[in-house]
Amino acid sequence: MSKFIVIGERIHCISPVIREAMANRDPEPILKRAKDQIAQGAVYLDVNIGPAGKDGEELMQWAVKLIQEECDNIPLCLDTVNTKAIEAGIKVHNNSRGKPIVNSADAGDRISNIDLAAANDAICIALCSAAGIPADNDERMGYCQTMLERGMEHGMDPEDIWFDPLFLVVKGMQDKQMEVLDFIKMLSDMGLSSSGGLSNISNMMPHHVRPVMDSAMLAMAMYCGLTSAIVNPGDLRLMETLRSCDIIRNNTLYADSYLDI
Amino acid sequence: MAYKNEAQVFPSSINTLTIGIGDKAIAFGGENVLPLYTFDAPIEHRPKIGVAISDMGYIKGVPGIEKFYAGAENVIEMAKLAANMPGADFLVLCLDSANPNNGDKSIEECVDLVKKVLEAVDIPVAVEGCKNIEKDSRLLEKVAEAAQEGSDKNILILSAHEENYKAVATAAALAYGQNVTAESAVDINLAKQLNVLINVLGISPEKMMMNLGSAAAGYGFEYIASTIERVKMAALAQDDAMLKMPIITPVSSETWAVKESLASQEDYPEWGSAEARGVNMEVSTAAACLAAGSNAVILAHPDSVKTISELIDNLM
Repeated sequence: MSKFIVIGERIHCISPVIREAMANRDPEPILKRAKDQIAQGAVYLDVNIGPAGKDGEELMQWAVKLIQEECDNIPLCLDTVNTKAIEAGIKVHNNSRGKPIVNSADAGDRISNIDLAAANDAICIALCSAAGIPADNDERMGYCQTMLERGMEHGMDPEDIWFDPLFLVVKGMQDKQMEVLDFIKMLSDMGLSSSGGLSNISNMMPHHVRPVMDSAMLAMAMYCGLTSAIVNPGDLRLMETLRSCDIIRNNTLYADSYLDI
Repeated sequence: MAYKNEAQVFPSSINTLTIGIGDKAIAFGGENVLPLYTFDAPIEHRPKIGVAISDMGYIKGVPGIEKFYAGAENVIEMAKLAANMPGADFLVLCLDSANPNNGDKSIEECVDLVKKVLEAVDIPVAVEGCKNIEKDSRLLEKVAEAAQEGSDKNILILSAHEENYKAVATAAALAYGQNVTAESAVDINLAKQLNVLINVLGISPEKMMMNLGSAAAGYGFEYIASTIERVKMAALAQDDAMLKMPIITPVSSETWAVKESLASQEDYPEWGSAEARGVNMEVSTAAACLAAGSNAVILAHPDSVKTISELIDNLM
């Protein structure tokens, strides 16, 4: 019943502009990407500071405060392998428009990130893998159950665990795509929320092809019940597909201007 | 096992809109529960009752209405009486005489009347146009201007339509700071679209109400009810910012125009008192609107106003 949740992926230290801005604590490039993505329809913004071993805590707090203060407290998805940095980010996160998201936990070494989310009333993206790519959906479901139980033991509402089916790159794992979609359907049938890095499927494809491929995957995944994704809201074709699928799924009421709102 | 009441409280709530000024101001909306579901969460602003008077006079041939306005020699005196009707929350002044089919009264004359009525009553006021799209777009602009002049009266303007929303909404809400109703005719998609279009003009949803259409019970009313319900659910369950405006529904203009209210007892002796039938039509339609989700209903007969007011009192 609720609208698909767009998590904007463009504040990512893999981008040279952002990496430099983070290193120099230069607000402008980061705020520009934040505001652009919000205007394009992002509901959450992912903030990826990379491994940030040295100054991760300070950097994450700086980024969270900067973006939220300048962008009407948009909720953030805190994305780093540095658990202490995520925790530091949560401490300064303003929850008035939504809880922060811990990105991410898995069923292996990073399972304790679920505990971190539970202890701080945050949402947690839970990657249905332990080490490497799961062999099949039975294995994915095993990880899902493990993480669901872990969250509930720590008092989490199952709605606050967003399971990541692990989108796989088409060039190399073309035969696994339908399996991922089937898994999304299983999550949906269990009433669970889902998310993930959808554009991974089109990695290494030519630039002009990627929006087409991503849009097709998004439509099929939304049909299967995907509830959110980490995407580039600047991809117009993808966003138009997403808004159209929200109408078809009856997630939002149709109006002639639906592509503009 | 004992029954456990699970409160159905939504994360989203209906916008709150205030009309009138000072301690006489009233607020519509604000709820985060289904209509009248006070057992799920308190409803801070109870549904409101507007009393309609026309600049062409009151509804003739209804003893209860004629008795109520007895002695009133003009619209201003009628307005004063209506403002003190037990159960009335706000006054709705309908400028019917501006309609080219009703005498085409000049905009200056209408605005002059609006000013006098605004001076004469201290309860909040809504002003409705003459239901001629072209005339209303000019008339309502001047009404909004008059409402802002001097001490701002913070009125509600009825209504901006698909055909004249630019003129009406821009004048009412942007130029002169009043509140505006977006009116659509039993079409959920158009209701949303009209709100979007008005919003694009730069008008905050917080300055808007919606009239989603109206009909008397038995005259296609189920379409009205389901439209109101669907819009309310989209606002609450889907947090749709373009549908969270409080809903206002004119009732008396519909119910006093149908055969059940108009047919005389002489012609239909088996139907009993015409006035009692008219009040019953008005009360049952209004109650159904409130149950569907209207935040305000517009009524005419003092008995209906009293009955619906008591109904709301007992449900809140």
